[in-house]
Amino acid sequence: MSKIERVWVYTDAGLQERITVVRFDVRQRIEHLLVTLCTAILALTGLPQKFHDETWARWLISTMGGIEVTRTFHRNFAIILTVVAVYHVLNVVYQIFSRRARLTMMPTAKDVSDAFVMLRYFMGRSKEKPQFDRYSFGEKFEYWALVWGLVIMGITGFIVWFPTKVTIYFSGEIVPAAKMAHGWEALLAVLALITWHSWNVHLRKFDTSIFTGRLSKMEMMEEHPLEYARIMAEETELAVIRPDVGDDTSGGS
Amino acid sequence: MKHGLVLLVLAVAMVLALMAGVFVLVAQAGPNAQPPLPHTLEGREYCLACHAPESFKPVPADHVGRTVESCTECHTTPEAVTPMPIGNEACLQCHQNLDLSMTLSSGENLPLYIDAEAFSQSVHGASHVMCIDCHRFMEYPHPELEAESRREFSLVAYEACRRCHSDKYEQTLDSVHAEILRTQSWLAPVCTDCHGAHYVVDPHQPRTRVSQTCAQCHRPIYDNYKDSVHGKALIEEANPDVPVCTDCHGVHSIQDPRTAVFHVESPELCARCHTDENLMAKYNLSTRVYKTYKEEFHGMTVEFYRTYYPTIWCYKAVCTDCHGIHDIKKTHDPTSSVHPDNLLNTCRKCHPDAGPKFTAAWTGHYEPGKDRAAMVYYVQLFYRTLIPLIMAGILGYIVLDAVRLVLNRRRRREIR
Repeated sequence: MSKIERVWVYTDAGLQERITVVRFDVRQRIEHLLVTLCTAILALTGLPQKFHDETWARWLISTMGGIEVTRTFHRNFAIILTVVAVYHVLNVVYQIFSRRARLTMMPTAKDVSDAFVMLRYFMGRSKEKPQFDRYSFGEKFEYWALVWGLVIMGITGFIVWFPTKVTIYFSGEIVPAAKMAHGWEALLAVLALITWHSWNVHLRKFDTSIFTGRLSKMEMMEEHPLEYARIMAEETELAVIRPDVGDDTSGGS
Repeated sequence: MKHGLVLLVLAVAMVLALMAGVFVLVAQAGPNAQPPLPHTLEGREYCLACHAPESFKPVPADHVGRTVESCTECHTTPEAVTPMPIGNEACLQCHQNLDLSMTLSSGENLPLYIDAEAFSQSVHGASHVMCIDCHRFMEYPHPELEAESRREFSLVAYEACRRCHSDKYEQTLDSVHAEILRTQSWLAPVCTDCHGAHYVVDPHQPRTRVSQTCAQCHRPIYDNYKDSVHGKALIEEANPDVPVCTDCHGVHSIQDPRTAVFHVESPELCARCHTDENLMAKYNLSTRVYKTYKEEFHGMTVEFYRTYYPTIWCYKAVCTDCHGIHDIKKTHDPTSSVHPDNLLNTCRKCHPDAGPKFTAAWTGHYEPGKDRAAMVYYVQLFYRTLIPLIMAGILGYIVLDAVRLVLNRRRRREIR
């Protein structure tokens, strides 16, 4: 899981140890970049198709090279995103079964109570904010919203792409139903991105950890105190079992 | 100063009035006026007394050498005595002879008989158009015909139409018929092939005449059309609402309907009538067909082609690809291409791998509702409920979060 980087730096207060937690590995950062790229292009080429009567949509589509080019881009990036998603699922299965990774993204009862505590904190009814582990309830909400969205978009997209193949097995009515769902789900996804996602990681605080992979000790203690505590505890534990680990600045785990 | 200006205006007005008066007087006495004839109209020798070639008012140069017995054979009435025009009666003296005809160098017989009665009932006869208005050879004997065949003669003679109907003539120059005439075949129609030559009547009366005119050449299409919902109503009920050929194809500037442009523009053609509330209400037909089509995959794509690249062939169905072109039937007619029994075969024209369940993918121009395309309706209902709920939740959360953030910062500042 998370690694710890320790660097000794000179400050006004003298030589100090600066602790940085590597929250996302390179694989996860690349995955996020790919999802970002694909989602942006899919939204850019897809939404004008949903709102094809609007002037801006017509302008966008003609600027991108016409309706056929727009559809070609849309379908190709849909394939790339599907590949990323399948890779992600395979990797999750591998991490859980072979690496015995903890199910950090799994919603728990604590997430529900955290959400209520958070709301009470906002309204001044609670002095303390909820303490989060590796993922807060908000992050889990977004992750599972993305999973739901990808499943819906993938299935409905496939249906409207290959209507004759799909209707060998299913009623023809699912084709217009899938088209309806594809458009509305896309709208929901984009709305969620420009509100929930933008607020939490761009506006409220510009969170660069998904690009650099790193959070400072202060940020960890503020946003993920439970995880930070566990990392520290594990490190101490490891230091007891394998004394070489504690001194290694490149981290163990 | 002011008086000067008024006087100037008055002076100009007076001069103008004077000029107008003089102009009117001169115009009345001009060449158009009919002077009373100072003599009787009897016998060639009478005429030549005044109109001999060397006399004060000679016969026109092209009259010299004419061997008719009397000038009055052509110049029958006082009106006709004026230099122009030669009355139709003059022409009819020969041309009402039923047997009058000539043989062209192609061997074809060119009948020269004119039915004066029928001509007088034609639009031109009724408005006193003269033979020589179209046939400009006034001299007799007539100059020799250059045309070698009847078709060649028609192709030369029809040019006369443009002298009065230049707008229509110019429209035909842009038509597919003119294009074929220029590049492929002399048989492509010119004015007189559709309207007739001497017995032109109102081409729209009765309405069936239009389609029958086209049928002269396009017989197989007419046969398709006459069994269609439109053709049947026209021919059997003289229905004034259904389209005849020219309502869809245009009149003089008829375009090739097989082009990419015509294909993508054709839905608008159908929509002209099928979005007309009053017209469709008469037949209990929906006016939403065009709207639902444009919202759907085929229609939306066709609309993009129409707007941005109409000359590229769009392989998406337009109205006629499913409903038929000239043989359009009522949708519940068992022979209709969109009747449930035939719909799959119609889909397979473009989707050859479509199975029997595929046809339900088309919601038949209906907007999704509980009775029709219910699955689509409930998906729509689901998202129309879900999206506002989720967005309300998210926005509520953000507002609360933001308010708390601001309050916390203010408190921190106060503590400091």
